Amino acid sequence: MANTINKVCVIGAGTMGAGIAAQVANAGVPVLLLDIVPKEGDNRNAIAEGAVAKMLKTQPAPFMSKRAAKLVETGNIEDHLDKVAECDWVVEAIIERLDIKQSLYEKLEAVRKPGTAVSSNTSTIPLAQLTDGRSDQFKQDFLITHFFNPPRYMRLIEIVAGPDSNADTVAMVSEFVDRKLGKSVVDAEDSPGFIANRVGTFWIQQAVNAAFEQGVTVEEADEIGGRPMGVPKTGIFGLIDLIGIDLMPHLMKSLTSTLPKDDPYQAIARSEPLIETMIEEGYTGRKGKGGFYRINREGGGKVKEAKNLQTGEYAPARGSRLVRGSAAKGDLGKLISQEGKVGEYAWAVLGPTLSYAAMIVPEATKTIVGVDDAMKLGYNWKFGPFEMIDNIGVATLVERLEADGLPVPEMLKVADGRPFYRVEGGKRQYLGTDGGYHDIVRPEGVLKLEDIKLSSEPLLANSSAALWDVGDGVVALEFTGKMNALDEQVMKLIKKAVPLVQKNYKALVVYNEGSNFSAGANLGLAMFALNIAAWSEVEKLVKGGQDAYKALKYAPFPVVSAPFGMALGGGCEICLNSDAIQAHAETYIGLVETGVGIIPGWGGCGEMLSRWINNPKYPKGPMPAVSKVFEIVSTATVAKSAAEAKEYGFLRHDDGVTMNRDRLLFDAKQRALAMVDGYAAPEKPEYRLPGPSGAAALQLAVDSFHKQGKATDHDVTVAGELARVLTGGDTDPTEITTEADLLKLEVEGFMRLCRNPKSQARVEHMLETGKPLRN
Amino acid sequence: MSDVVIAGYVRSPFHLAYKGALAKVRPDDLAANTILGLIEKTGVKPEDVEDIVMGCAFPEGEQGFNIARLVGLLADLPLSVGGMTVNRFCGSSMSAIHYAAGQIALGAGDVFICAGIESMSRVPMTGFNPMPNPALAEKSAAYIGMGDTAENVAKKYDLSREDQEAFALKSQEKTAAAIEAGKYKDEIVPYILPDGTVIDADGTPRPGTTAEALAGLKLAFDENGTVTAGTSSPLTDGATAVLVCSEDYAKANGLTIMAKIKSMAISGCAPEIMGIGPVGASQKALERAGLTIDDIDIVELNEAFASQSIATVRDLGISEEKLNIDGGAIAIGHPLGATGARIVGKAAQLLQREGKKYSLSTQCIGGGQGIATILEVA
Repeated sequence: MANTINKVCVIGAGTMGAGIAAQVANAGVPVLLLDIVPKEGDNRNAIAEGAVAKMLKTQPAPFMSKRAAKLVETGNIEDHLDKVAECDWVVEAIIERLDIKQSLYEKLEAVRKPGTAVSSNTSTIPLAQLTDGRSDQFKQDFLITHFFNPPRYMRLIEIVAGPDSNADTVAMVSEFVDRKLGKSVVDAEDSPGFIANRVGTFWIQQAVNAAFEQGVTVEEADEIGGRPMGVPKTGIFGLIDLIGIDLMPHLMKSLTSTLPKDDPYQAIARSEPLIETMIEEGYTGRKGKGGFYRINREGGGKVKEAKNLQTGEYAPARGSRLVRGSAAKGDLGKLISQEGKVGEYAWAVLGPTLSYAAMIVPEATKTIVGVDDAMKLGYNWKFGPFEMIDNIGVATLVERLEADGLPVPEMLKVADGRPFYRVEGGKRQYLGTDGGYHDIVRPEGVLKLEDIKLSSEPLLANSSAALWDVGDGVVALEFTGKMNALDEQVMKLIKKAVPLVQKNYKALVVYNEGSNFSAGANLGLAMFALNIAAWSEVEKLVKGGQDAYKALKYAPFPVVSAPFGMALGGGCEICLNSDAIQAHAETYIGLVETGVGIIPGWGGCGEMLSRWINNPKYPKGPMPAVSKVFEIVSTATVAKSAAEAKEYGFLRHDDGVTMNRDRLLFDAKQRALAMVDGYAAPEKPEYRLPGPSGAAALQLAVDSFHKQGKATDHDVTVAGELARVLTGGDTDPTEITTEADLLKLEVEGFMRLCRNPKSQARVEHMLETGKPLRN
Repeated sequence: MSDVVIAGYVRSPFHLAYKGALAKVRPDDLAANTILGLIEKTGVKPEDVEDIVMGCAFPEGEQGFNIARLVGLLADLPLSVGGMTVNRFCGSSMSAIHYAAGQIALGAGDVFICAGIESMSRVPMTGFNPMPNPALAEKSAAYIGMGDTAENVAKKYDLSREDQEAFALKSQEKTAAAIEAGKYKDEIVPYILPDGTVIDADGTPRPGTTAEALAGLKLAFDENGTVTAGTSSPLTDGATAVLVCSEDYAKANGLTIMAKIKSMAISGCAPEIMGIGPVGASQKALERAGLTIDDIDIVELNEAFASQSIATVRDLGISEEKLNIDGGAIAIGHPLGATGARIVGKAAQLLQREGKKYSLSTQCIGGGQGIATILEVA
């Protein structure tokens, strides 16, 4: 058996297969993508080739970089199946028909080399049926790997091993999808619908039924069933629009045909005439003419409308604000007991759904953790069903179920009033089917700040940041403000942290577990200062940030930043000022200051210049690096992946990329530790910049963008200030510009723009609407 | 004193910058290959060549270090053959011919290879380090973008977008017809890529162009303007070489004399409307030749933009049937430093092929200039 997977074959170039192939390529692993020979045309590879071409245009992009697409080799199963012999793992993602899958496996058995793992991406067919008729050897190498759509962005993968599956093969594939594809593996049993879709489909059906039965509107259902339950704001109906209304009957049919007759889902599965009509008429959701919501552009306007479930007519969507008090802030007990519509609907959704989720353990997965992980990763729920039950209280839930005459599943009886999770001795534990509590054990190489917090106190903390000991002499700097925004408090904590780390520790990583690394400086605070014209305060904030970031940069210990999600503005600049970056593959990093009418003020300009000046593949001379950085920063470019961030120079080529979010802190820590021996702080950079001649060249370029209508009047002003910084102000190519000179230019340009009412209007607009103002 | 004659003309295939087949080819390699093609085609003795005079608009990077000398060494020409790089932006290689003609007239040599090169893929237009004088940028349009000058000319001559697109469509059609009829085969020196791929045809023309397709393009330079990519010459990679020698030498050595140089001229104009540069330069050259525009049978006008081409045609009174009969730069492309020698060489070829008497080759030049050359059948 192969110990590692060096090449993968994906058969089936539909949305799922092509997306899986793209993610393999994103991991830097070559992949062979095969599909059938089309009935028409001369190109026998047209289907697989077409899938790759389509993905290069799809948004959100399946590929993390254009370069990744080159790792996908396309072909067809008639001419190229023998190439499977070069592959260590074959993923089958073809049509959900048992006979066709079985016939493909028969062919695969003849061409694959022994030990090559074969897995199916089926979401409905039991494993035992898939391998029926195959050799023992094939059965040993076979498993189900159930990805979620889109494979790049959905973190969940359900893995089902059969009774004959070789444990080493399953381990090899699990390891690969975890470390290389960045997916979180949840082990599932060979039961219909596995975990996430089984609970998810039940939940959606129950929520739709209840809305029709109780006369709850689409908007109300999504308000009650969305945010207050920790469900994405699309709620129920918004989610159905997203996945496609026409998919619902298929999901229902597949589950009703495979689940036992006494499964509670059978009793609630039904389709509403209104929904059937919508599908017939092409109202299939966002991909169709509209769904439960639509954007009405008649008369040149843009009105969000919602469907009336009783009449079937569209009317302008009405904001719903029914959920009150702590029920709106996540208190589920309050939510299900709020008087009237809210409590009634919330209970109608949650009661049966939580009960159903509790019922499928251990049939669908051995532990409650599997169910919770599946729903959090596969449906983006903030809390899993068992965490929700703890929120309500096991006893309360059981009481209500009994009062309604609903069945009380075995797991709730096992709990016997106790919570499903508890913290004991600094460790998080879950309740097993045996009635005992067990530690939640993280896989090797996974280190979570949330675990560390259970057993320790921060070394330093204030309102916006904290410093944690993450073991082995490494500390983590965590942002803790709203949206992880950066402010004076963060800078103060950094300044305190530096001498502390120098004295007692070896290295520092900048890391947190929010939804985003940091969206940048706290604009609200900045706006407040601007409104009262507290110029010296603003200047202090800019200089304070520069001092703090440079203190990190020149500290006598390694600093590694570990961005993920959005790392914008000041969040990007702290990364740029670090010794190294260990980024999650899904990092969206950029210097976006110009969007709010200002320029990077915390050293971002100089750091980006250094990166491009020192890029050995880029032309030399005073202008090329300056022009490139100007282009990137003046247009507020945000990289859409870590791979793209390398192309823009936000990441250096030797910076690390971690595919699995859960492994980011561990990897960043290892990277920092690897730099400890013989560490010396970087030398201060010196620049040779073009001065006013270079600024004149950039000005000419901006003028032509202005003429083309690509730059607004104020863009020209902002770009002018940026150009002045990047070209070194009044310097001359014969002179040296220091880092301090550049920092001073940053402050001057920043302050001039802050005083400009048009920049202030941009900041205000961003705060109010979340969108940039094009003035 | 002997007359100066054109005794050979070749060029490389022209391909779109960045995405074309020559994007990965070094400009010095491309130029050397083209010059070797000229020597082979004309049969001139390399040891007789006085100098390689090479036009190049952005002589830096791979086009730097006096590329003319480097190309001579790359082509293994005798060490006695000199090399000089000439820069007059788009007029560079026509200036190379003018320089050679002057040298021959002075008795400072008999045989010159006048070449032109531009890899717009590998050395960007503006060069790697544009550093304009801020004071000059303030007081004049010296550094104005070429697209903006095309818009200015369109405004000044009241040319609509439709006028320009009709001109561009014609250029594409004439070029396509000429290619179809095999009229370009004779002048192209194939280039062989390292993987063995033979590049022996132009990649620039868009033979299927329609009026509808042109009308659908976005405005390229001014959101309120009229000029699009379809009515502009494309960024192009290419090289050209013309053999210029004294008539006596050509005759004595059995070279094919294509045409004689009758007159030449340079004339400056306002940078912001550099596109009308050919008007002043052509008028000067006609006067020096003692001719009027009606005496000219063949006109090779570089189509930097449709707008400036139409303006030039109108001001000079060029009749349509004489103009760019094998097509022009909007279709074939405009590798800046290589274009001047192409339109002189092409004019000589057309005089021979069509059996005509006089030709005018002329082009506009960024910064505000025009250049013109009149040839007479030999």
